[in-house]
Amino acid sequence: MDLLLKAIMVGIIVWIGFLDKAFLHTFIYRPVCIGPLVGLVFGDLKTGLEVGVSIELMFLAVVWVGVAIPPDETLSAGIAAAFACIAGDASVGIATALPLAIVGQMFRQTRNSTIYEVTQRLVEKAAAKADYKGIIVWTSIIPSFIEGLLFGLPAFVAVYFGAEYVQAFIDFVPENVIAGLAAGGGLIGAVGVALLLGTIKNKELWPYFLVGFFFASYLGVNTIGVGIIAVVAVMLNFISDKQKEKNA
Amino acid sequence: MSKEITKSDLWKVFWLSMGIESGCSTTKQEAPGFAQGLIPVIEKVYDDPQDKADAYSRHMELFLTEGRVAFFCVGVAASMEEQYAKAKDFDPDSINAVKVALMGPLAGVGDSLIHGTLRPIMAGLACSLITASGYTSPLGTLLFLLVMTTTVMVVRYFGVFKGYELGLSLVEGMQEGGFLDKLTKYAAIAAFIVCGGFISSLVWCTIPIEFVNGDTVVSLQETFDGLMPNLVPLIYTLIMYWAINKKKINPVLLMVLTMVLGVIGVYAGFLA
Repeated sequence: MDLLLKAIMVGIIVWIGFLDKAFLHTFIYRPVCIGPLVGLVFGDLKTGLEVGVSIELMFLAVVWVGVAIPPDETLSAGIAAAFACIAGDASVGIATALPLAIVGQMFRQTRNSTIYEVTQRLVEKAAAKADYKGIIVWTSIIPSFIEGLLFGLPAFVAVYFGAEYVQAFIDFVPENVIAGLAAGGGLIGAVGVALLLGTIKNKELWPYFLVGFFFASYLGVNTIGVGIIAVVAVMLNFISDKQKEKNA
Repeated sequence: MSKEITKSDLWKVFWLSMGIESGCSTTKQEAPGFAQGLIPVIEKVYDDPQDKADAYSRHMELFLTEGRVAFFCVGVAASMEEQYAKAKDFDPDSINAVKVALMGPLAGVGDSLIHGTLRPIMAGLACSLITASGYTSPLGTLLFLLVMTTTVMVVRYFGVFKGYELGLSLVEGMQEGGFLDKLTKYAAIAAFIVCGGFISSLVWCTIPIEFVNGDTVVSLQETFDGLMPNLVPLIYTLIMYWAINKKKINPVLLMVLTMVLGVIGVYAGFLA
């Protein structure tokens, strides 16, 4: 398979990822899925998995609530994994991941405040005429193609035309910078955890944060184990709430 | 003369509501998807085209909650539209009022449990499985997809069907018993514990600084680990929390600064 065909496939994978975000939401848009899919296209599952895992961990706890748009992990994982597979070096993918994610974020922000403002008004027009076909066309069908144009096509262009420049650029970048980006990548998870903490409404419950920290850091309990502790804590609270209601 | 909503109508609602986050604009957010989800109901219960148009337009108001728990609001709205078409004995604006009352608390629960707890746990597990296989087996990816897809489908199914079944009565019951408050509290407990657990798996750094003290070499990293494991990741996370929530600094800027800090750290020799 030559690069043209592979780049088209990457574009389609990214498009599928964005359609998944908009519709079924099976989470196939996450880097841990996009990475290996791109890896398969290039016949290099190993690099795809490695880049997918690295980017997934980078964005693991990132939860943006409300109207805000997060850096885009899907566009990032698709293009970065392709760059890494072409270079045969996973660190190329890791180094390019964050800038690509920020580009994806800008695209999404612009899409929501321009193109989708227009389609949304067309949905309103259809609604006012009780034209249900028009509602479906402007809510689902046209936006599906817009997703392809805005994300699938740029992914194709980036992979087809950009790979050699990225390679040249990475060769030019000193090794210490790559090592530094990896070190920064280790700390970047803190921003995600901080965001997740920010979403929690009942701040007075913060001691539970220490419970999780204690089990994971001191006892080395893995995330599933911490999940079980969370379930136990919720159940204990549930039972005590029930008893309080009985007594009241 | 209005018609009853059947199970197969609700299945149509289920599938059309999949577009809840499609065409999501900055000003109206999930409104187009919401209106699309109610097409089978509105087309069935109203006969007069003007009634249909009013009903569709009603659901073009701003709507925003987590996209999976949103199905619950669709179910409730379906039930209320049917009741309104039958008797027209209440103000149809209350349909939107109920949606607005639900979307805040539901967003909190959905974001914390699906995106804040389950998704990171399963993705973290997938990453460990893949890493343990030496990046050869995509089993972790498949497991992640299976669990997440099942979860979101089940949440949506119960959303539409239970939301419809219980309709208004459920909304009243939820507010009376403080049920939503409690759900938010439980979600908060789970999210806090999971966040605490994430520090050790998601945030890491190595400090290669060493001091020579007589004959012994004292490693700063070992000293910190002796004080408290993952001390530096914990402090860094708390600084980020303070910067985002108290100083309102853009998280993307913090991500870029963190990468820059990594590069500076490696050059200056305090990070490896």
